Amino acid sequence: MNKFFNLPLQKKVVGIYLAANMIIFIVNVFLILGINKMAIDMELVYQDNRQLNELTDSLTEVQDNMTVYLSSKTTDSLENYYKSAQTLQMLSDELGDEVTDLAFSRMRRNIKNMTGQYLEEVSLTVEAKRGRNVEKYRNYYESATELYEYINAYISRLNNEQFISNSERYTELATAFRTFESISVMVLTLVMTGNIISIITIVGMMIEPLKKLAVSANEIAEGNFDTNIPQTKYHDEIGIVIGAFNKMIISIKEYIIRQRESMEKERLMQEKELTMEAHLKDAQLKYLQAQINPHFLFNTLNAGAQLAMMESADRTYEYVQTVADFFRYNVKNHDTEVTIGEEMTLVDNYIRILNVRFSGDIKYHKQIDERLLKIPMPNMILQPVVENAVNHGIREMGDKGTITLKIYREDSDACISVSDNGKGIEQEDIEKILVGNWSKKEGQYDNNGIGMDNVISRLRIFTGKEDAVTIKSEGIDKGCEVIIRLPLPNVENK
Amino acid sequence: MGTQESSDKSSSKFNKQNLLLIITVLFTLATLVVGALVFRFYMADFRKASDVTQYDKYYVMITDNYKSDFWQSIYKGAFDAAQKENIYVDLLGQNLAGDYSCEQLMKIAIASNVDGIIVFANESDEMTQLINDADGKGIPVVTLYGDSTHSKRLSFIGVGSYNIGREYGRQIFNIIKEKRREDFIESAKMGHRKTMQIAVLVNTDTQDSGQNIIISGLQETLDQENATNSEFAISIVPVDNKNPFSVEESIRDIFLKKSIPDVIVCLNELNTVCAYQAVVDFNKVGDVNILGYYNSESIVSAIEKNIVYATISIDTPQMGEYCIEALSDYYEFGNTSEYFTADVTLINKNNVSDYLESEENDE
Repeated sequence: MNKFFNLPLQKKVVGIYLAANMIIFIVNVFLILGINKMAIDMELVYQDNRQLNELTDSLTEVQDNMTVYLSSKTTDSLENYYKSAQTLQMLSDELGDEVTDLAFSRMRRNIKNMTGQYLEEVSLTVEAKRGRNVEKYRNYYESATELYEYINAYISRLNNEQFISNSERYTELATAFRTFESISVMVLTLVMTGNIISIITIVGMMIEPLKKLAVSANEIAEGNFDTNIPQTKYHDEIGIVIGAFNKMIISIKEYIIRQRESMEKERLMQEKELTMEAHLKDAQLKYLQAQINPHFLFNTLNAGAQLAMMESADRTYEYVQTVADFFRYNVKNHDTEVTIGEEMTLVDNYIRILNVRFSGDIKYHKQIDERLLKIPMPNMILQPVVENAVNHGIREMGDKGTITLKIYREDSDACISVSDNGKGIEQEDIEKILVGNWSKKEGQYDNNGIGMDNVISRLRIFTGKEDAVTIKSEGIDKGCEVIIRLPLPNVENK
Repeated sequence: MGTQESSDKSSSKFNKQNLLLIITVLFTLATLVVGALVFRFYMADFRKASDVTQYDKYYVMITDNYKSDFWQSIYKGAFDAAQKENIYVDLLGQNLAGDYSCEQLMKIAIASNVDGIIVFANESDEMTQLINDADGKGIPVVTLYGDSTHSKRLSFIGVGSYNIGREYGRQIFNIIKEKRREDFIESAKMGHRKTMQIAVLVNTDTQDSGQNIIISGLQETLDQENATNSEFAISIVPVDNKNPFSVEESIRDIFLKKSIPDVIVCLNELNTVCAYQAVVDFNKVGDVNILGYYNSESIVSAIEKNIVYATISIDTPQMGEYCIEALSDYYEFGNTSEYFTADVTLINKNNVSDYLESEENDE
């Protein structure tokens, strides 16, 4: 069995086909043998009658030849007589001399014996004729003729009887033939059914692994590499295909793992590069910072503030103190993360400095939800936004400019809104700013180095959201609002 | 773990398929074999019908009329007896178209070289010659019922003709006695008492010694029984049996004559039936007493109806048995007794019912 299943697919299919045909062929051979046998039987049915007819013919021939010889004494007739007598002897020998229950057999026996007697008488007649013994051959002739008649009567009777019996037998044979026919049809049908079932089963057994393979292949095509890989028992083409498939799956898995590793490596490399860059920038910054000695600046400003206090110039003191705080914030906050409160304080200082610089031009409004002040955010965000609002929004409005800072909670976000009533921005410019395509005009006044795109990208990285910053403007001269959304830490933790 | 399970499942499925396949293949083969066997047995059964017993010896029985109950009954007795010894007996003529005389059948039997011949012989020279021919060829011949005394026949199986004659005599005497009593009652008639006419029907073609013996037995009995000569007169009426239908005509002729016999003695079955029918046809029932021969159904029923006075019942199966016994003795010992006599019983009105009963029991 296993040997068969190990055969190549083609041989297997051919083998099944041959086996099925072979079985049908065997059935047919049986059928033909049966039919042949019955045909022979049927042929033999009237054999007896034919035999008897031959016997009658031969008998008549002997009688005729004898008569011709007796009347004309020709050599031909004598020769013919000998020939026919031999034939008759032969035919009568075939009759058999058994005595049985069957009337036929006894009649045959009697016919045989009578024929023997008859031939004897005939030969005696011929001999007497040769010896020209007229009296004798006439006597013999008479008794031979009498016997001839008896034999004929016997034969015709036997012939008749046998015909009747043979007809019966023929009918029986015909019935048997029909029975044979129905049995054959039944056997043929059953064998066919068996054949079909066998073929279906064997083909099913052959195809089964292929089906499993198809299922697995489908699953793998859908991305599930951990599916059951079909096992194969046999080494036909399907077995080979399954084996190859399995190998392929394993190598694909390996390949994926390798790919993943190399991607990981690349990512690490990039990270390193970025860190390097950051370090470089840090170094550059440090270098710049180092150029302006902050302690010197603070001490200088502090000295100025003390001087103003001693001279009782309170406003001057306050101003110098605010400037010192403003700069200290820039230097002190080396951490990237600060709280909203700290950022807000910076903005307060900045506005205050500006108001001193521009003698109270800017109206500054605050609507603060105090609970949100402890929420972390990246540093140096709000001040550039406010600076932008001042520089590009309300700079040319004199004392009509207003800056409004709102900190409030919306859904799971803490929102910081910086709005002005200045020039406003065109919608396409807003889009340009958000995408990062905003090109600064030559000679334009810039803030202290931190552009809006920097602010936006840092916010996006910090929050991990694209909509961390939204800019709204109703159009030209309708003001502008910048809204920063920061996720609430507890929501984030969730 | 999952793979193991699924492989178990698939292997069990595989086994199931294997099982199905094996069952199917076995089923197919079984169908083939069973089909072949069924047909073989059917054909064997079909052929068995022609299975036959083979016999050691072959005898033939030759009679003048194989169809008659009498011969059939004897043949049956012989056949049964022969079967026991593994011998087949044919009633020759039965299988042949056309009528053949005993002599012709003898010739056929001799030419057929049978193992034994049982023949209803007669005293004719031709028959004697044929029997001698058969003997010459080594075929033992037994004569049955009719003898051929001068031939070289092995033995003769017959009935005690003399006994039959005596039985007939006694019956006739009974009839005479009845007549006497009637005459005595009607004493007026005493004076001119009529002589009782007894007609014995004999066949013309044979010098059958049996017939003569019967007649002499009959006569002797009447003499012994004190019947005076004036009381009876026996006449021999020849019945022409040379051709097939002449018997009936001859018997009818008797009834067309002036004086119709009071008693008709028939010496064979056919004569009995013809006489009985003639009596009925001529309305002579009661006037003519028939003494019949053989116990065929119609004759026995005629006795019941009082048409036939009495008949002789011959133990025909016994006769048949004797034939076979004689031939077997010949083959066994080289010789056998020359005469076999079958039992004879008389059936008349008194014992006919007993006879019928016993017949019924036999059946």
